[in-house]
Amino acid sequence: MPQPAAKLTFKDLDRAKYMQGGMIKEYFDSLTNSRANGTKVAYAFVMANPIELLKSFDFLPLYPEITSLNISYRGGAPPLITLAEEAGYSTDACGYVKMGVAATMPGASTTIGNVPGPDLLLLSYSGCQIYIHWWEQFHYQAGVPIVLLDIPYVRDFEGRVPRHDIRYVTGQLEEVIARLEKASGKRFDENRLKETVRLSAEAWDLWRQCLEMGKLRPTPFDAYFESIYYMAPITFARGSQKCVDFYRFLLEELKSRAEHGVGPTAEERYRLVFEGVPNYPFFKKFWGLFAQHNARSVASTYPKVAGLVDTGAFRLNPDKPLESLAEYMIHAYCNWNMPLRTNLIEKYVRDYKADAVILHSIKSCRSFSMGEGDMREYLAVEKGIPTLLVESDHVDPRYYSEAQMKNRVDAFFETLDLRMGAK
Amino acid sequence: MTGAYFAGVDAGSTYTKAVLLDSDSKPVTTAIDMTGINIVSAIDKVYHAMLAKAGVNEREVGYVVGTGYGRYKVTFGNSQVTEISCHAKGAYTLFPKTRTVLDMGGQDTKAIRINGRGEVVDFSMNDKCAAGTGRFIEGSARALGLTLAEVGDISMRSTKPIKISATCAVFAEMETQEQLAWGNKLEDILYGVHVSIASRSIGLLRRVGIEQEVTFTGGVSLNRGMVKCVEEQLGSKVNTNPMTMFCGAMGAAEFAREKAMVAAREVARP
Repeated sequence: MPQPAAKLTFKDLDRAKYMQGGMIKEYFDSLTNSRANGTKVAYAFVMANPIELLKSFDFLPLYPEITSLNISYRGGAPPLITLAEEAGYSTDACGYVKMGVAATMPGASTTIGNVPGPDLLLLSYSGCQIYIHWWEQFHYQAGVPIVLLDIPYVRDFEGRVPRHDIRYVTGQLEEVIARLEKASGKRFDENRLKETVRLSAEAWDLWRQCLEMGKLRPTPFDAYFESIYYMAPITFARGSQKCVDFYRFLLEELKSRAEHGVGPTAEERYRLVFEGVPNYPFFKKFWGLFAQHNARSVASTYPKVAGLVDTGAFRLNPDKPLESLAEYMIHAYCNWNMPLRTNLIEKYVRDYKADAVILHSIKSCRSFSMGEGDMREYLAVEKGIPTLLVESDHVDPRYYSEAQMKNRVDAFFETLDLRMGAK
Repeated sequence: MTGAYFAGVDAGSTYTKAVLLDSDSKPVTTAIDMTGINIVSAIDKVYHAMLAKAGVNEREVGYVVGTGYGRYKVTFGNSQVTEISCHAKGAYTLFPKTRTVLDMGGQDTKAIRINGRGEVVDFSMNDKCAAGTGRFIEGSARALGLTLAEVGDISMRSTKPIKISATCAVFAEMETQEQLAWGNKLEDILYGVHVSIASRSIGLLRRVGIEQEVTFTGGVSLNRGMVKCVEEQLGSKVNTNPMTMFCGAMGAAEFAREKAMVAAREVARP
């Protein structure tokens, strides 16, 4: 006879976070050891990158966005930002760029160890103008080739992408193969690419199911703050069995949380939708400002920068690897136009039955934060959704003011109480 | 109910203010002092000065609400409410027809839109910049060798206002000195300073939507020159009186009164 299951606590069902921590550590170790192991490092962006193609040539991808945020999360941003500013970068320039550039300067040391320079620069240009200049800088520093992929914006307000856009990107991917062969010294193996794409597709589908657990009431996880941990493997490790296993484990863990009625806060008092890059140097404090009000995020946009998987905008297909990758790349979050982005947030509020929207604008990333003031206006005034806009930075601690931030958040919950009471 | 009085303490960045209300929401007395570097002792001093002035014993105070940046330092307070909700409540208590509040304090300026019950519907604040706050006037006053109490009245004598940039409170100090060196009149420069600050606050008000009546609160609401500038730019009158500078503490005291009444009802319930 089956024994009745023992009551599990949140701590018992919070193992996936540590598992991804281990994966990150392993990944950083492989970066640190890449030179010694003769592994070639390809720099890539989080948004719209065909990591599956790089992996089929045994390139180890390095995302300066990810290394920068991790260095910042571990308190290591100030010396690198100072180094970049001494080299002439403005205080207003993107923190990721400054940290990315400084981390590879001679004599730089970081809180995640040695960050190797690039052997190849894959520039999948989408959504951010700065990407081009950033990669140019690396090109000057390291003298390695840039492989450019020009990704057209999603121009249609319904999110439709013309066939010729997909053909345009697919054609570029076909051309890039020859350059990747040359840079890696390896022949292109189509079957290997197909297998990598198949594994990626499997992980994407599991991750989508995890994200949709936020529809439960209460949500078993925080779809912003916890998703930021959970999004790491899909970003850097997709296309591997390990990544698939991680999301299978996470999905089971979240189901168990729901079953045992546990979640990241004592109870669920408010259901929030989050937009924007978080504040990494004060990540836990920033989370605490919301958690102390027993607010949980039920859906958010930022954890989808690696791919808007829950919108159905793309589906990787091993039978059409390059074409489906092209579609994936076009649908990068910052490649979407503002009405599409705003409508997605509004849809989240409806589908996930949220009480309010929090917009976290970051000072040094205009491609993400541009238009958030209008977004607030539209959601709050046109749609009557309680919306709070707060501002700091993703990596630079100088822009974070605890007292000001807390004041706004506390006041917002005071007004939300009144509005929810009036419902 | 344990006491007949209700107190609000507003520990702001520049001044700490306290208000004592009776059970009919009528102000009994107020007290104010510089916050300084020791916020806990400033709170204690102001609170006890207020009680002494009213001749009220601490035990007669039924409920205390702390507000302002130092709200969690009001150690004897029963609960904390942000100054955004408190200024809304205070303005509504003083002027019940208020629908928009402009609070101008030492370090921040807030625009708050409220409903017919005095509850916050929306708010907007200055961010990481002192241009458009009381600190901007303080800096300019210091640069011109004047006290805060003088600047508003002097500015009202202006006949030909000078344009002062509205982008930075620190640079504005330098700019006022430069204007003086170029031979411009003190009152015209000061009026320019007031216009510059008012323009920033009108931007905040527009963000939340201006609905009549507008009540001007916070320390700067005592400055007649600023009241005039805000009214000119708004194109309408604003409510102010000697109590509006205590609006945060006033709202906190009114919250204290309401919370004590709710608690009393709960105790009375069988």
